[in-house]
Amino acid sequence: MSGSNQKPLEVPEQSEGNEQGSPQWGEPKLSSDRTDFNALPEFAKLPKANSRHKQDHAALAAEFNKDEPRVDWHDETLWWVRQKRDKAAARVPEWELLRDTASRIKDNVLSNLSGYLRQFEEEATRNGITVHWAADANEHNEIVLSILSRHKIDKMVKSKSMLTEECHLNEFLHEKGIDVVDTDLGERVVQLAGEPPSHIVLPCIHLKKQEIGEIFHEHLGTPKGNADPQFLTHAARLHLREKFLTRRVALTGVNFAVAETGEFVVCTNEGNADMGAHLADVHIASMGIEKLIPQRRHLGVFLRLLTRSATGQPITTYSSHFRRPRQGQEMHIVLVDNGRSVHLGRKDFRNSLKCIRCAACFNTCPVYRRSGGHSYHTAVAGPIGSILSPNLDMKKYADLPFASTLCGSCSNVCPVKIDIHEQLYKWRQVIVQEGYAAAGKTAVMKTMNWVLSHPGVYHTAGKTGRWFMLNAPFTVKNGFNTWYRQRDMPTPPKQSFGDWYKKNKK
Amino acid sequence: MNESSNTATRNSRDKILNTVHGNQPAPRELPPLPEGTPVAPGDLAPTFITALEAIGATAYIVSGFDRIATMLHEQFPGARRIVTGCPQLNAFAEAAAAAKGLDPHLLENVELAILPAHFGVAENGACWITETQMVERALPFIAQRLVLVIPHSSIVPNMHAAYDRIAALEAEAPANTYGFSTFIAGPSKTADIEQSLVLGAHGPISLTVFLLDEELSDAGYF
Repeated sequence: MSGSNQKPLEVPEQSEGNEQGSPQWGEPKLSSDRTDFNALPEFAKLPKANSRHKQDHAALAAEFNKDEPRVDWHDETLWWVRQKRDKAAARVPEWELLRDTASRIKDNVLSNLSGYLRQFEEEATRNGITVHWAADANEHNEIVLSILSRHKIDKMVKSKSMLTEECHLNEFLHEKGIDVVDTDLGERVVQLAGEPPSHIVLPCIHLKKQEIGEIFHEHLGTPKGNADPQFLTHAARLHLREKFLTRRVALTGVNFAVAETGEFVVCTNEGNADMGAHLADVHIASMGIEKLIPQRRHLGVFLRLLTRSATGQPITTYSSHFRRPRQGQEMHIVLVDNGRSVHLGRKDFRNSLKCIRCAACFNTCPVYRRSGGHSYHTAVAGPIGSILSPNLDMKKYADLPFASTLCGSCSNVCPVKIDIHEQLYKWRQVIVQEGYAAAGKTAVMKTMNWVLSHPGVYHTAGKTGRWFMLNAPFTVKNGFNTWYRQRDMPTPPKQSFGDWYKKNKK
Repeated sequence: MNESSNTATRNSRDKILNTVHGNQPAPRELPPLPEGTPVAPGDLAPTFITALEAIGATAYIVSGFDRIATMLHEQFPGARRIVTGCPQLNAFAEAAAAAKGLDPHLLENVELAILPAHFGVAENGACWITETQMVERALPFIAQRLVLVIPHSSIVPNMHAAYDRIAALEAEAPANTYGFSTFIAGPSKTADIEQSLVLGAHGPISLTVFLLDEELSDAGYF
């Protein structure tokens, strides 16, 4: 970004801005009725992803791929983030030792999760935090609603929480008449656009600044055609500051929770989790049960890894440690299972519960970069989402483990050394065995199985295939051949290896 | 919570704990923690300042609070409401005592907050500040600009040393046992719009860190 950061940001006056009070530090006042959720209920409509569920990853990716320049731009932007991660990692000589240590700490956590959960509950309660347990998404949402209802509150701010995306909290609360404002800039953008986030760290990475300018023009009243990131960010700062100052309940996610001390850590660059929590009468923190770590000093390992892996920064701007509510404040923690305890029992797949949600695997994945986050039709996209989601619903997410080249780059960058590509491969086998694979894929596999286990058939099939490819190429080079869609067919050899060997062995 | 939801939560608690207990693998030991490669031998301040500048903050080594007051006058001449948690600057700003215990919403118009912090971390430019130093939890976030003051000698090399120091601080004085505490590394920022870095997301739009070295002569600051 250009421009000095020492001076107040200059933002032109809005024609529709209300004139009361002198703007401070050159801040324009934005018309508040443009940002009223109740007046514009379509803001919080169900994410479009709900209707997309009928289509699988390949179909959704094909849609994304229609706009080739956008695909290239998306691909390059994420690769640039991946390169920043590489530089940050290279500056830490003990990087590999850190990854190994983090992975082993998580091994210990998974092996004693019930003990750590009990310890955390005890310590957090002692600290004056109310601990809730939610077996599934619905129970989580009901707990949040019950806290809001008890205080007779129908508006709240929320900082980034992938868990609440997983639980579809916003839609649930919207149906109950609760207005939720997402305060992370990227999440606010997609919320206004009526879309789910497409990336867990960079929620609106799929949108261009001109599109964001258009969304802000429509919903926040910024001048049409202004797509300057600094201007738009400042407009969002003003719009959201009003929300922070008027909402009495703030919900945040949790990056790490410490069993030893009963505290939890929330990491942001924007400061939105802190602005929400410290101004609200009630702070609700939602966390998956796998977010626990044993001791506070283990944070040293994870905080060194998290942001370097995510964006290449040495640490987030804020790493806030919440141990007790402030005087007069209520603090709640909702511990959510939603399938995690069952996942823990799957030997081949339990390591995915080590994930710290850095998204390094997204940024490096050649499939994610070229298919976009929405093609995964789940809250956590990318390679890690593709191994977490089938655990939640194997049928609905049967396509995701196939959305990979199995190149292994995800496993190479994972800060907690999850064997992501191996799990993708293993999920494919489970999905086919359980009968959830796509019909076409199953038919091809069965046919191949039959052909390969009958040498005579194999020999004849090879001969026939070569003949058709040589003499009637249109029979394989057409739209019905799914292999041909993105690939050229090879020139067939004149004879098979079998024939050649027979002729030459003498 | 009413009684019925309490029961439901209790049922879920037992159900979750039982399933977790039944499914968790055989015990695995905790690994030893790395100490981390020291970032630079000797004085860690240059490394700390380089890290701070890389994340959009400014840092100065100064000889005393008089010097800080002079520099703040020069740098923030127009600031209308200034709150400080450093008693040495009470003449310059609204003292912590006046702001403490206020409804945090009343801090909304604070243009400059000047707060002490415990120590800095050389590898990433972060400063550790506990609740008692913040005046109010909201203050370091709601102020338009933030200034932190740390002892020059307080820099630790990395996050492992940082958590050792936090434990030592708590052992030293019960007042250091925080209800809330945070690492602050630079001004608040975002790159959510096309990965363009913008300073000043929701929190302060600038951060200045003073490394206080009372042994320096007055001319020694830069």
